[in-house]
Amino acid sequence: MNWTRQHPGWAMFAAMIGLLLFLWGMALPLAAAPSPIGPAAEQFADGARITVGLTLIAGSAGVLIGVLAGLGKLSRFWPLRWLCDSYVWLIRGTPLLLQILFVWLALPTIMPEGVELSDFACAAIALSLNVGAYNTECVRAGILAVPHGQVEAARALGLTPLQTFMDVILPQSMRVALPALANNLASLVKDSSLAYAISVVELTMVGYRVQAESYQPIPVFVTIAAIYLILTTAFTTLTAALEAQLDVGQKR
Amino acid sequence: MNSEAVPRPIIEARAIGKRFGAFHALRDVSATFHEGQVTAIVGPSGSGKSTFLRTLNRLEAHDSGEIVIDGIVLSDDIKNLNAIRREVGMVFQSFNLFSHLTILRNLTLAPMRVRRMARAAAEEKAMNLLERVGLKTQASKYPVQLSGGQQQRVAIARALAMDPKVLLFDEPTSALDPEMVNEVLAVMRELAYSGITMLVVTHEMGFAREVADRVIFFDEGVILEDTTPESFFSNPGHERAKAFLSQVRHGF
Repeated sequence: MNWTRQHPGWAMFAAMIGLLLFLWGMALPLAAAPSPIGPAAEQFADGARITVGLTLIAGSAGVLIGVLAGLGKLSRFWPLRWLCDSYVWLIRGTPLLLQILFVWLALPTIMPEGVELSDFACAAIALSLNVGAYNTECVRAGILAVPHGQVEAARALGLTPLQTFMDVILPQSMRVALPALANNLASLVKDSSLAYAISVVELTMVGYRVQAESYQPIPVFVTIAAIYLILTTAFTTLTAALEAQLDVGQKR
Repeated sequence: MNSEAVPRPIIEARAIGKRFGAFHALRDVSATFHEGQVTAIVGPSGSGKSTFLRTLNRLEAHDSGEIVIDGIVLSDDIKNLNAIRREVGMVFQSFNLFSHLTILRNLTLAPMRVRRMARAAAEEKAMNLLERVGLKTQASKYPVQLSGGQQQRVAIARALAMDPKVLLFDEPTSALDPEMVNEVLAVMRELAYSGITMLVVTHEMGFAREVADRVIFFDEGVILEDTTPESFFSNPGHERAKAFLSQVRHGF
């Protein structure tokens, strides 16, 4: 951890490269493993790629939703505040599995003709909305933690409200919000496994299939668990490095 | 220190009123400030002096009356407001440096965003200003690494980077340890002699007497005295001013 604090840029880079190498090259060492892992190596690699894809898409969209809804919750315009409050209330109060099923089964019936969503897209939408609701509260807390004097100084210098937000409030609030956002991202890596329920062939689904074919659940699920651990480690290294990067100019 | 010949009015406040709930902070305050003039605004705490200063760049909106800055009427019109804030710099009691930016970036942010200066030009200007306040070697540090006195000198340089026509100081030395007050006052003294228009809310009576062209004494939301330092300090007209002076006399 000390090394990532001192060289956050390199740590971030190394985590990204490590993740990519792992995803592309995973099939090679796994193929050398004995049955039932070896023959299914490509399946494991494909599943991991889907899991990472879901996490990256829903994670990015979730941050964007979190920032927008977090701002909305602090808006002086009450209908917007009410909308964002309801969104968080709805998502936090219902199971993620139900949300995924809703997007997959209910959304197509109310979508206009001709628009078709893949299973992957449905999972990505549901996960984005879910993590976005949790991110909303983190972002709101972060924005509230920025001292009002910072805003006054920016406005007194002639910065517009948008410039004040982008240059002063957002970077400072992220410093506060990031540990909580990182927590949500780590949860998301694992929550993405619920996409198996709508037949997205992600990592957990691969494990389920491989053990069903081989009747050997122990080695299969241990392998799946190990891959999840490697993925979460890569993501937490990445967010820790980002945290160190944003931590500059802070009292310790 | 100022050209008495053609004093051009740069700030005109006419019958300014301001309430905070039941508290009447300003009652029909009128004052005109001329280019190049250095005005010390003094008075007991809660007398409305800081509120008055903050209405001049609309960090507080006044309830009644009219404020004209350099020919522009101050209102909620965002265009006018941004134009005024570009010309009116402010130095705060608690410095309010942007904690996530280096000293250099603190100085270049507004010129680059608001004045659309090129980075190289903004940085050159910033370095010149830092040299002027004696902090050239600190440019790459973060605010938290500097002492209070140094931070306030940076804050003055940051305000100057926008080439304001007027500089407002809101109790610039009140949050400082005693041994750091003088380094800030020295910078302000140098500024005052350079001919910039300054309005200084202060408890530093020595500074007011020595540097200001004019002293305004606030009490309970009205201007009780508006006169020269000589006459204010040697022969105050009101009992309230006499009582105030006898209480703060240790200051000089």
